[in-house]
Amino acid sequence: MLIQILLLIVISGLLVVFVRSRHGVRMQAGKRIGLVLFALVNFYAILRPDDLTAVANWFGVGRGTDLLLYALVVVFLLAMLNTYLRFQGVERQLTELARTLAVREAEIVNRDRGLLSASDPVVTAVTSGQPEHPSARDS
Amino acid sequence: MPIPRGVDDVWLVVPVFNEQAVIGSVIEEILRTYPNVVCVDDGSSDGSAEAIASTGAHLVRHPINLGQGAALQTGLTYACARPGAQYFVTFDADGQHRVEDALNMVAKARSGEADVVLGSRFLESAATVPALKRFVLRCIAALSPAARRLNLTDAHNGLRVFTRPVVEEFRISMNRMAHASEIVSYLSRSSWRVAEMPVSVLYTDYSMSKGQSLVNGVNVLFDLSVRQRGA
Repeated sequence: MLIQILLLIVISGLLVVFVRSRHGVRMQAGKRIGLVLFALVNFYAILRPDDLTAVANWFGVGRGTDLLLYALVVVFLLAMLNTYLRFQGVERQLTELARTLAVREAEIVNRDRGLLSASDPVVTAVTSGQPEHPSARDS
Repeated sequence: MPIPRGVDDVWLVVPVFNEQAVIGSVIEEILRTYPNVVCVDDGSSDGSAEAIASTGAHLVRHPINLGQGAALQTGLTYACARPGAQYFVTFDADGQHRVEDALNMVAKARSGEADVVLGSRFLESAATVPALKRFVLRCIAALSPAARRLNLTDAHNGLRVFTRPVVEEFRISMNRMAHASEIVSYLSRSSWRVAEMPVSVLYTDYSMSKGQSLVNGVNVLFDLSVRQRGA
């Protein structure tokens, strides 16, 4: 059926886009527009279910609500992936923060313990491992 | 305490998470050979930090638990900032690695034959490795394209020696257990010369209870596959 091929292509295509692309301003805007469009289509589908069924039939799906369900699955998976990647980014930042803090504190503590000499250089900034923000790189 | 010549430029990085029972003796054992040890306490909830503080090892404390990969990178960052540090050894805190093996591996790196030396449980005798673990680890090494390219027999050994240029270029981004695979895949893409050396691993009841379960491999695979490329 056409719908199966179509859904598979859309899912895999969007997965690739989401995973591979760096999330810039354009991507952000794209996601928001997508969300608004999905919501508008839903409004329309609720108001005129017969129209949706007609579209569904054209795609090879029985009922309009089934088409909506498929679309929902796609949107849900994408939202999940989006959240996962967002959390990953936050975790990366958190790691950098914790690492910088830990190393700085350790240099003070270990100096007090007599393990470092006073002339040892202090790491002022841990070189950032986050190339997505050019301003965050200090090397 | 007599210190053998040529160990001042070696730093041992030991990630520690709730190892109160053994960490003290492990550090003492290392300090007999290597004066420079940095222990990264990864937010332990037991007395690990106090146990480390009572030894002569450098202590770095993560304010929160971040995972073994993150702890390794923090230790490497700290050690790399110390003047004169040239060789970096990653060493497990549960006492399953032997300092003599580390010595041999550093000697190999020092000879200039390799930029990175990885320990392998399977190069000589694998008798001490439990059968199921041996089977799974060999499968991973055989199936991983990166490990195959490097001709590795053991892709997940915690005992490794890095030379300074490698540490300066590479950065562990996998906070949890996927860092072992991350390191191997980085090395296979890089032009660093990688050598493998036989090490023996002491599987005590303690280290067995601490070792990562094979089920965790699923998490490792997921972490590695779903991540932002290029980020």
